[in-house]
Amino acid sequence: MIAVEGVVKRFGAHTVLGGVSLTVAPGEVVTILGSSGSGKSTLIRCINGLETLDGGRVTVDGLDVADPRQLAQARRLSATVFQLFNLYPHMTVLRNITLAPELVLRRPKNEVEAQARALLASVGLAGKADSYPGQLSGGQRQRVGICRALAMNPRYLLLDEVTSALDPEMTAEVLAILARLATQGTTMLFVTHEVEFARRISTRIVFLDQGRLIVDLPTDQFFAADGGLAHPRIRQFLSKMAPSSTVAGAPVSEILA
Amino acid sequence: MRHAGFTWHDGALLAQGLGVSLGLFAGTFLIGLILGSGAAVVRHFRVPALGTLLHTGLELLRNSPVLVQLFLVFFGVPALIHQPLTPVFAAGLTLSANTAAFVYFIAVAGLDAVGRDQVEAARAFGLSRIQLVRHILGPQALTFAVAPLVGLAVNQLQVTSLVSVIGVVDLTKAGDILNLRTLRPFAVWAMVGVLYFAAAKTLTLLGNRWERRLRAHAAPLGL
Amino acid sequence: MPFDLTVLTPHLDTLLAGALLTAGVCALGIAAAFALATALGVLAVGGGWAGRLARLYVDVFRNVPFVVQVFFLFYGLPEVGVYIDAFWTGVLALGLVGGAYGSDVVRSGILAIEPGVVEAAKVGGLSRPAIIRRIVLPIALRTAIRPLGSVFVNLVLSSSILSMITLDEVTGTARGVASETYRPFEVYAFLLAAYAGLTYAVSLGIDALHRRLNRHMADNGAARGAAPGAMEGTA
Repeated sequence: MIAVEGVVKRFGAHTVLGGVSLTVAPGEVVTILGSSGSGKSTLIRCINGLETLDGGRVTVDGLDVADPRQLAQARRLSATVFQLFNLYPHMTVLRNITLAPELVLRRPKNEVEAQARALLASVGLAGKADSYPGQLSGGQRQRVGICRALAMNPRYLLLDEVTSALDPEMTAEVLAILARLATQGTTMLFVTHEVEFARRISTRIVFLDQGRLIVDLPTDQFFAADGGLAHPRIRQFLSKMAPSSTVAGAPVSEILA
Repeated sequence: MRHAGFTWHDGALLAQGLGVSLGLFAGTFLIGLILGSGAAVVRHFRVPALGTLLHTGLELLRNSPVLVQLFLVFFGVPALIHQPLTPVFAAGLTLSANTAAFVYFIAVAGLDAVGRDQVEAARAFGLSRIQLVRHILGPQALTFAVAPLVGLAVNQLQVTSLVSVIGVVDLTKAGDILNLRTLRPFAVWAMVGVLYFAAAKTLTLLGNRWERRLRAHAAPLGL
Repeated sequence: MPFDLTVLTPHLDTLLAGALLTAGVCALGIAAAFALATALGVLAVGGGWAGRLARLYVDVFRNVPFVVQVFFLFYGLPEVGVYIDAFWTGVLALGLVGGAYGSDVVRSGILAIEPGVVEAAKVGGLSRPAIIRRIVLPIALRTAIRPLGSVFVNLVLSSSILSMITLDEVTGTARGVASETYRPFEVYAFLLAAYAGLTYAVSLGIDALHRRLNRHMADNGAARGAAPGAMEGTA
């Protein structure tokens, strides 16, 4: 279980996270919604140890990420997919995927490569193993990013606005893969602007507003008129999202109606 | 001076040497600046033959050791023209030409960084070539070139240390003389090093101040 | 006395021997400079006393003339009991000064790396040494090849100064040939052209190496400007 307890994060005088608590249990798909600057990405970065905490505690299966030793262990349990892919530009697609499993998990090279090739095939990139990131489209790069995370066999998959840098067509490619992962029971913590998609795959949705977690509800209750929608900030957020959130299913405007 | 063998005369010798080094640097850098940017302007306006000739010559100077250039001018040229050159003249000639070579390549890059559309606009308004260089190309190219020029200046100050080998009594030669007299090379070369270091840092400081002022003027232009 | 290069013919063997010594001292000096530049470049990026020390080192060696450094090593060190012969003084001096100039290049190469790429390696669980060796340096050195190349070309030119500490590299042998033949102009003109030709060839080689090693590096690994708003949303 990922447990976030009263986490505080400041950048200078600006408080980005003002005491946020959240848990993600195995098997859950938890989506974090919130407008830009609400602290969503920072929360993910506090969980994978890229930010130091100014207060509170984050544990991954009991391992405290503030402790360097335990963080090293915790990082074997979770894997992150980034908004801007962050692939290693000087390595082939295959090497991007196999590097950490080989060096960190010390798994045998041929086994990791076989898994990497299988993962690439499953996201429709079987022919790209020997390409370099610079030769791929954004959507292809993000699919590689997902393979790189999955090759760590993580218990928890952290996804930080993974489609924000992609055009609608590429976004659809990537979301299709994530939807499949969700149905396969992968535990995910998902920061996104794709409200409609979140509604479809999440077990729970939390809403961050100015560094505070104001709603944490099962998905159907979040979208219920007497649940999350009763909250004015959430109604405001969803109505702003409406025009661009028609990826699948009913547009958000219908929910609000 | 703490070391037993040193006298106040030695301080005077070093100070004099430093003066010669700084003077030689200032003079040759100024001449090199004028010659190098002149050559860059010639190149920019694509003067046939002359442009190519200058480019090749300056490329040769940039890609060969200054020491060999000094030998060529001080020992080689007199053998060819049957006319001896004084060490200071040979040093001045060599360092000016060498500086010009580096200035030329910095200035060419600076001029190329100014958009062709501006040149065309200025020509359309009827500016002459000289007016174009003075009012449009020059000031903008300078803002691009100032940082590399400051770096070049620090470098050329250090290059002056080579003229000691043809007998100019600069700071390095003064160190050499001092060394022969006191036989304390460790202290002497450390001291000479400190003096060069101080001179170079002062030059960097002045250069950076000049660069900031220039950039402050250029800022409203969006450069 | 008209310009006549044939006077050099009987001395080509001597000059070639000098050129080989230049090649040797430069090859070793460049190798040392590369190793030192890499180490100092990594240290200089970091904070703390190690970073400060690295930056101080660079500052000193960049602001003292090479000839003074060489004299200090060759004449100064024996006074305190350290004896190094002319050849190894040359290697050491080239390595020390090349390390200083090169480390600035490596440092800016490191600073130009997309931070997200390093973050990806961190959350992947790679150790700090593994991140430096497998991610940071391979990327930084690729972007640094061209400027590092000019540092090394300058080292080759600076190596002529080693003739001043009795090392008979090519400039030193040329001095001998010049005084023997009484044809200094021909000797030094030939030498100047030889250095220029050599450095030109080296820079062509560096350009080719740069293109080869960077042929896949379309960018620094991130989608800068790949889509509108790509850089926003650090919520």
